[in-house]
Formats: sequence, C-alpha cells, structure tokens
Amino acid sequence: MMAKSLSRRGFLQLSGALAASGVLAACAAPVGAPATGGASAGTGQVNLIWDTFRGPGTGWNEERIETFKERYPNVNIEFRPLTGSSQQDNYGKMYAMHAAGDLGDIIAFDPSHFHFWRAIDKKIIMPIDDLVEADGTDLSQWYDQFMVLQYHQGKLYGLPSWGWAGFDTLVTNAVHFDEAGIALPEPTAHDTSMDTVGEWARSFYREGERFGLTIGYSEASIVVLCRIFNSDLINEDGTRCLLLDDPNAQTALRWVYDLAVVDRVLPAPGSVENFPAAQLDGRITMNMGGSLNVRNYHRDIKDETVGRAWQILFPTREDGRFPSQIRGGTWNILNGCKHPTEAYQFLLHITSTDGCYSFNLVAGQGAFVRPDVMQKLIEGNPIHEWFLPNLENGIPAHAPANSRGREYTDAVAQWSTLLFDPTQPVDFEKGLEDLHKNIQAVLDMEPA
Amino acid sequence: MTTLAQEQQGQVVAARRRWSPARRRENFYGYLFLTPWLLGFFGLFVGPGLASLYLSFTKYDVLTAPQWIGVDNYVRMFTRDDLFWPSLWRTFYFAGVGVPLGVIGSMILAILLNMKIRGVAFYRTLYFMPSLVPLVASVVLWKWLLDTDFGVVNQLLREMGVSNPPGWFSDRRWAIPSLISLRLWAGIGGTQMIIFLAGLQGIPDSLYDAASIDGANALQRIRHVTIPLLTPTIFFNTVLGIIGALQTFAAAFVATEGGPGFATWFLALHIWKHAFDYWNMGYAAALAWFFAIVIVALTIIQMNLSKRWVFYYGE
Repeated sequence: MMAKSLSRRGFLQLSGALAASGVLAACAAPVGAPATGGASAGTGQVNLIWDTFRGPGTGWNEERIETFKERYPNVNIEFRPLTGSSQQDNYGKMYAMHAAGDLGDIIAFDPSHFHFWRAIDKKIIMPIDDLVEADGTDLSQWYDQFMVLQYHQGKLYGLPSWGWAGFDTLVTNAVHFDEAGIALPEPTAHDTSMDTVGEWARSFYREGERFGLTIGYSEASIVVLCRIFNSDLINEDGTRCLLLDDPNAQTALRWVYDLAVVDRVLPAPGSVENFPAAQLDGRITMNMGGSLNVRNYHRDIKDETVGRAWQILFPTREDGRFPSQIRGGTWNILNGCKHPTEAYQFLLHITSTDGCYSFNLVAGQGAFVRPDVMQKLIEGNPIHEWFLPNLENGIPAHAPANSRGREYTDAVAQWSTLLFDPTQPVDFEKGLEDLHKNIQAVLDMEPA
Repeated sequence: MTTLAQEQQGQVVAARRRWSPARRRENFYGYLFLTPWLLGFFGLFVGPGLASLYLSFTKYDVLTAPQWIGVDNYVRMFTRDDLFWPSLWRTFYFAGVGVPLGVIGSMILAILLNMKIRGVAFYRTLYFMPSLVPLVASVVLWKWLLDTDFGVVNQLLREMGVSNPPGWFSDRRWAIPSLISLRLWAGIGGTQMIIFLAGLQGIPDSLYDAASIDGANALQRIRHVTIPLLTPTIFFNTVLGIIGALQTFAAAFVATEGGPGFATWFLALHIWKHAFDYWNMGYAAALAWFFAIVIVALTIIQMNLSKRWVFYYGE
C-alpha cells in the first residue's frame, strides 16, 4: 500500500543517490581480500580454488583434482576455468578478479608472458621458499633453467608449468629437401650456417606457390635471430636495447632484411594467414618456430608425400651456447591464501612427473621442464630427443625490467614489421633506428 | 497575510491532495516499472561513465588505488603519444570512406529489393544473410579468402593474369580498404538496408503516380521523389554508421591486431591496448573521453547540417 505519492524529482534523487554510492564504492581502492577458500567449521575440510586457463576442456584439470583428492581427502579443490579468447586476455581477468577479491588460491602469472614480476610487485603471489623447505622438496627434479625463471630478488615464487627453448629451430619439410636432392643436417646438429639457410630460403622459393623460409616478426623470433649472430635484442637486465650498440645485432637483422626486402623471398608481414597450415599443405619448406611446432607438425601430417617433419637447428654461438630463448610458465599460490601448505602440495601434484607428463599429453601443452618427463616423452615419441640439446644448453629469456612486457612485444612486432615490409620498403638504417628507438622507449617507461 | 511562495506551495500541496488513489497507484507502478531501467542506466552507464571521467585524471593500473595526476593524461595524449594522432586519422579514414559507401550501397540495394519482382523475398534474405554471420567468424573467413599468398581471391586473380595481386591484410596500403570491404560485405545488406526498405515503403505511391503522370522516368522518380523522401533515413543511417565506424575495433583486432606496422591501429584499439593490455587504465579513460566528445561533437554537427538537406514529408 502506498502511503504517499513519490514525486518524479524525489524518485530521481533517490536513484541518483543509489548510483552515486555505487560509483563511490567502485572507485574505492581495492581491498584485495582474496577469494581463497576456507576450512569448513568443524569438518576439517579445506577448500581451495584453482583459477587457470591451462587445460580447460581437456580433462587434465579434473584428473589432477581427482588424483589429489585420493591422497588428500580433506582438501576440496574447485576448478574455475578461465576461457578468454587468448591467453593474454585471461591475465586481465585475473587482475580484475584480484582487485575484486575473487582470485583463487592456485594461479599462474607466467614469466614468459611478462606478468610474473608484476604479480610479485603487486603482491598477488606469495614466495614459497618456506613451503619448499618445510616439505624438503628436491628442486633439482626440474631443469634448472626453468627453475631460474621462478625466482625474483632471491625468492622463489612458483614451480614450472610449461617450458621450452623458444623459437630455436626451423620446422622443416624434409620432402622438399629430398626432391631437391639436398642432404638434411642431423636434427640435433648445430652445424648449418646462416648463409646456407639463406641460400635454401632463396632456392626453395617459388613465387605464388611456396616459401623456402618463413619468419613471424615477433619478439620470440627477433630475439633468437639476434642470438644466432652472437648478440641479443635487449640486455640481461632488461634496461637497454642492443640493436644500435651491437654490430652483431645489426648483422642479424640485415640478414633478414636482405631476404625479406631486397630479395623478397620471405612472405610480407601478415600475408600468410597460418604458417603451420600452409606448411602442412606443402607450401613452406622451413618455418622458424620451436620444438612444440616440430612436434605438432609431425603429429598433423596426413600425407607423407607432401610433408615429412624435420628440424634444422641454428649454428652454435661463439660462447658455445645454442641460439634459443628459454621460455616457461609457472604455478603460483595467491598471497594471502589461507591454506598455503595444502596449496603447495597441489602445486607439487600438478608439477610432478605424472602431472607434467599428462600436462603434455592430455592438456596438449609443451612442458619440457623435467628431465624424467623428457625421457618418458622420448619413449613415447623419439622426436622429443631432438629437443634435448637446446633445452640443456639454451639461453634464458630476458624481460623488460619495468615489467612492460606487452608494450615491449608490441613495439618489437609492429616496428620490425615496418623494417621488414617489402611492400613499402624503408632504408635498413632508418628502420633499424626506429625499431631500436621504440623498444628503448618502452624499456625507459616507469615500472608497470 | 501570506507570501507568494506560501501561496504557490499551498497550491502544489492542494494539487497533490487532489490525486486520486488510482492515480497515485499508477504513479507508483510507473516508477516501479522504470526502476530496472533506471538502475541499469545509472549503475551501468552513468556511474561507470562518471567513474571513468574521474579515472581519466588519474594514474590507475587496476591493482593499486588511482593516483590523481590532473590533466597529464590529456597532455600526454596530445603531445607525447606518437600513436594517438595517426590512430585518430586512420579511424576517420575508415569511417570517411566506409560510411558513405555503406549508406549508398544499402540504399541502392534497398531500392532494388523494393521492386515488385518475383522472388524478391528470397533476394532480401540472401543479401541479409552476411549480416547474421558473427563478426569474428566473418573476419576469420575473409582472412583465409584474402590470404596474400595462398588465399582463394589472389589465386583467382593470378589465374586471371594479375601477376602481383594485392596483399590484402599484409600491405599497409591495402589493410584499411580490406577492412572496409569486409564491413561492406557484412553491412550493406544488413540493418541499414532493412531501415531503407522501411523508409521506401513509407513513401506514398501517389507521389510516384503524380511524377509518372508528369512524365518522370524511373531515374527521375528516384532523383525527385525517392531520395528526397528518404533523406531522414539517409540521415539516420549516416549518423549511426559514423558512430559505429568510429568505434571499429573487433575486425581490426581479429584480422590484424593493429598491424601490419600499425596500419590498422585504430583509436578504439589504441584505447583497448592501453586499458587491457598495458594496464594504463587512467590514460585509456582519458582517450575514451576525448573520443566520446569527438563523436558527440560530430553528431551535433550532423544534426545541425541536417536542417539544410533532410526533408520530412508532411511537415
């Protein structure tokens, strides 16, 4: 029953006040209270939440939870799949969830997606040194190069999830070599010179039909190209771009420029929609990629008269290292998690031999982070043996010190595209300077 | 002795008292039914809008509290952001070419599909179908078709003797025209065409009959009857078309992610990058507010210009 009528003005004032209070609440600094599960009173049950975009839809996550539950019946893990359209979209969601106090206990801010250090700086993930010590975990069960990625300022923040040696190889269609009567180098050898690779790129090229070599102009490939020529894209500290300072880096990019712009035997940036699909169709002889691409190419070949998987590794550097960029992911525990011990046990469970093995085979990830898993993978598919040399003698990735990872990768991708674009060529020196200047501008930004 | 104000207040109170219970109830239910919309309007539009205005004067990365920096984001936009002006220019280029082509194309198609010919319903359905395809799916489809080296379109062009077909999404000169083509494919036969068809069917036959009696041929009838009476529809479609084109994002994001070499780095993409990729939420809010002001200003200009060329039949 209405006691008295409500005027239009009064109603709007009321609505406005409600909306304003909502706005003020939204603008308030996030409290950051985690959504971490708690113990149900009196039952001894521990509830944890696992937020991840790795594995949903494959059954891997469910299998891990089920097998964990067999060992720890009192721990309930709720799996919340993150299903953004790309991996990077999910980090945004995770930041928003954290700001809203709704981020789960077990999460991942991968170093090679440049979110790891930011998540540490913002106190989203917790150091796990004490947990490791209390458990007596043997950290040598993972390759050291992937463990190194888990540290920041002397503290350990996670255990390895995925990992590989980056764009360290030429995924090769051996059929083209057979047809040309060219003997392929051993798939684990590092004795093919870049001059030879360049010659092959030119000789296998057929206008409108086939590319001898394809390179995606991304940070992943540009870094390794610089490393092949005994240089790097940025320094180890992640504060300085090396392109203008180091003649070797310029030689590397000149090598690409000659093929892409001068001889025009590489596809223009963005012109080939899908390199792996085109290679399966027999339209690409060598595609710069990584071990996972070799494995997938080998797996996806339908007609061996059109394609046969091989890999050609880049020449050994003067310092004896193999050109590569060790990249990897992590599993972390939320800072403020109420049950870090149980969460840590779950981390161990998903990064164990079984967890890592099924992460490869069930979840379809490239997780070459454990020597024992590599042996198991080799037993199942000998092609994995090809990936061992670069895993064991690879070079770690360098990240911008200011955690401006996405700005950095965008700057590299867009400005290297301009440098290597044959449709509107720029002078090499000018393109190189622009690329350097814009990468350095990102490295000079204040921390994210 | 009563003052004028007291007298007026007394009249208002008296007027309220005169409200019958039925009218009060009606009043109550009116507001009750308005409530969901008002909550949505204030909570999801006005509230976030005002919040973003505040954030545009701050440095804000979502994870830490906003830090007030005054107009620095706006100064940065105009003076220190190398990508801002080029992205604004690209956005206007895309809208400036795409919208007129879209409006004219939709109008011509609507005129053709308004003819009394056999199977017209089939043709209307056929032309409308592309607009039903989800944008992302159509972009992916067109990326395959327009693949520079191995796409169907360029293979056909090569077979027709074109030795060096365009690099649709790989050549910086072609990237925006390719996105415009994609938009036209999905848009010409879409909602704009339906609105034009509705407009055409609102034109009285008597005007065509009178024009025919005066000796006007088909083209003259279009020129002197159809187009003048369609001007409100043309205006409506143009305004919405420009607003939509200026906000273009998804096609460029999916097809090229701003490349090659920033060729399709539109302002909406620039805003998105800063907001959700670089976590410069305050700066993104400033960009968004500037962009919103530009769109509103353009719309007001169009509204004012419309008085010169839009003809409302019967007024």
